[in-house]
Amino acid sequence: MAAHNVRRTPLERLEYAIIVSTLMFLVVLTVQPLLNLLAISFSDPGKVAGMSGLTVVPNGFSTEVWNLLINNSAVQRGLLNSIFITLVSTVLGVVLTALMAWALSRPGLPGRRAIFVFVLVTIVFEPGIIPDYFINKRLGLIDSYWSLILFKVVNAWYLIILVRFFEEVPKELIEASELDGANPFQIFWYVALPLAKSALATIALFYFVFHWNEFFRAMIYLNDQSKWPLQVVLRQFVVEGDKLAMVGVVDSNNYTGASQINIRALKAGMILLTIAPILAIYPLILKFFTKGTMSGALKG
Amino acid sequence: MTVSNELVTEAAIPRDGNVPNIRRRSVTKGVRQWWPYYLMMAPGLIFFVIFHYFPIWEAKIAFEQLRIIPPNIWVGIKHFQTLFSSPIFWQVLVNTLIISTMKIVFVFPIPIIVALLLNEIRGGAFRKFIQSAIYLPHFLSWVVIAGVFIAVLSPSDGAVNDIIGFFGLQPVSFMTDTGSIRWVLVFSEIWRSAGWDSLLYLAAIIAIDQELYDAAEIDGANRWQKIRYVTIPGIVPTIATLFILNAGMFLNADLNQVINFSNDVVRSKIDIIDTYVYRIGLQTGEYSLATAAGLFKAVLGMLMIVAAHLLSKRLTGKGVW
Repeated sequence: MAAHNVRRTPLERLEYAIIVSTLMFLVVLTVQPLLNLLAISFSDPGKVAGMSGLTVVPNGFSTEVWNLLINNSAVQRGLLNSIFITLVSTVLGVVLTALMAWALSRPGLPGRRAIFVFVLVTIVFEPGIIPDYFINKRLGLIDSYWSLILFKVVNAWYLIILVRFFEEVPKELIEASELDGANPFQIFWYVALPLAKSALATIALFYFVFHWNEFFRAMIYLNDQSKWPLQVVLRQFVVEGDKLAMVGVVDSNNYTGASQINIRALKAGMILLTIAPILAIYPLILKFFTKGTMSGALKG
Repeated sequence: MTVSNELVTEAAIPRDGNVPNIRRRSVTKGVRQWWPYYLMMAPGLIFFVIFHYFPIWEAKIAFEQLRIIPPNIWVGIKHFQTLFSSPIFWQVLVNTLIISTMKIVFVFPIPIIVALLLNEIRGGAFRKFIQSAIYLPHFLSWVVIAGVFIAVLSPSDGAVNDIIGFFGLQPVSFMTDTGSIRWVLVFSEIWRSAGWDSLLYLAAIIAIDQELYDAAEIDGANRWQKIRYVTIPGIVPTIATLFILNAGMFLNADLNQVINFSNDVVRSKIDIIDTYVYRIGLQTGEYSLATAAGLFKAVLGMLMIVAAHLLSKRLTGKGVW
């Protein structure tokens, strides 16, 4: 690349400037709306009304909106529900997927092909939400967290990814452990899992993001509002424009001036609160997902 | 089930008589070797049976008249006839096809362009910064993205209308405008996936042999000639694979997206098969009709994705799985 830099003509420099500005424009398009919401949520609630959608600087400074949000009982419950559902389903998902993937990755396992087809069919043919609803109803999972936790608890795609990974585990390693008298469970635990650390982390992040972002099933399976995850609370407030769910509670219990609080600022804060856990694990996502997809370092 | 079957077949092989020693050992070893693996798979297999295969069986209500007191009555294809004679169903089918077509035409090429641009960036740290920013929306839920777009497109204080107002034009209420709502779907899809999807193409570009670039350089090729004659030919297989896969998902116009961008004003423009199934099934309670619509989509979708897989395998050697 060094040679490339040395003999750059003015035209080439212009080209490069255009490329860089185009990409920076994309960066702005992606990040600015979120920074705008951040600015609005930290602005003085009385000054939010006139704020432009283009600004990224708070108008005055106040944490009032955030105080309101984190003290709101609907938000608190939503947060706890989301954390519970996401953590349980992620742990369960990783364990069950890893177990099944390891078994499926063993060459010579009788019925291996048939089980693969059995799994692939579920990817290709999905009979839709009504039969799914009936199954959950039959199992008594309506209004239960388990209707969300068990949804794609073993995700067929992630399973296949992990199988492909486990297939690469050197045969010699397994044979050596067998000679040492290790049983299949010990081999799984002491040989396979430690080797698959980064693959398992990737799968765990997949499951975490998937379950944290799930709202549709929570919407149709949880009639009991106190069980709603954060996404459904957010949807009710921001997409459906149901202010009562949010402000009503705040207004009557904690905060007398709530009617003056700008709904726009509350919505902005609420959106960011729902993104916060994703942002918290985003460095890990970048590390594992990009590495997994690129399988190797970028050049340059 | 699988575990016991396996044990029975293995044990049924005679262990005495003329069977050589080595064989006997391998059979007993076989039993001892494999049952733990079936045990490991058992929870996953049970999950697939209950949550993926039972629903397929349950879908038979598309052919039944539901009764409060069982049994249900078999009515054959009656619900499908009702479906195909319903103008609303044709409307949602057409909507689905229009939205999918718009997404293929306007969303699909963007990540390719982004990847080509990203590849030109020299300096790892700067490129990483850009990547970190543009990958983010892929990991946000459609509820969040709808919330962001409602704010950005707000007629009173959204960024887009602030810009429109700067040019002295009247603000547009994009979210409740029947003319623009499909474009809102297209742009929100670009916002969400253009960055992340470029990663797949970038991975393909990185895999191109560096010697090809060196050779092009020696031949005096400039930046655009290298892109045109080395990079693009190098990623054509990836483009083809992903295009075919996208085409295979044609009937999935994305329920999660549409349901968050929908409202009474624009529903007729973006009502798709999935939202239709949800509405007449879970909201109106016409379970059989909704299941029939769902099955129609499932069967057609299956044919398309399998065709896409076979086509992709044949053309590029890479399939869906």
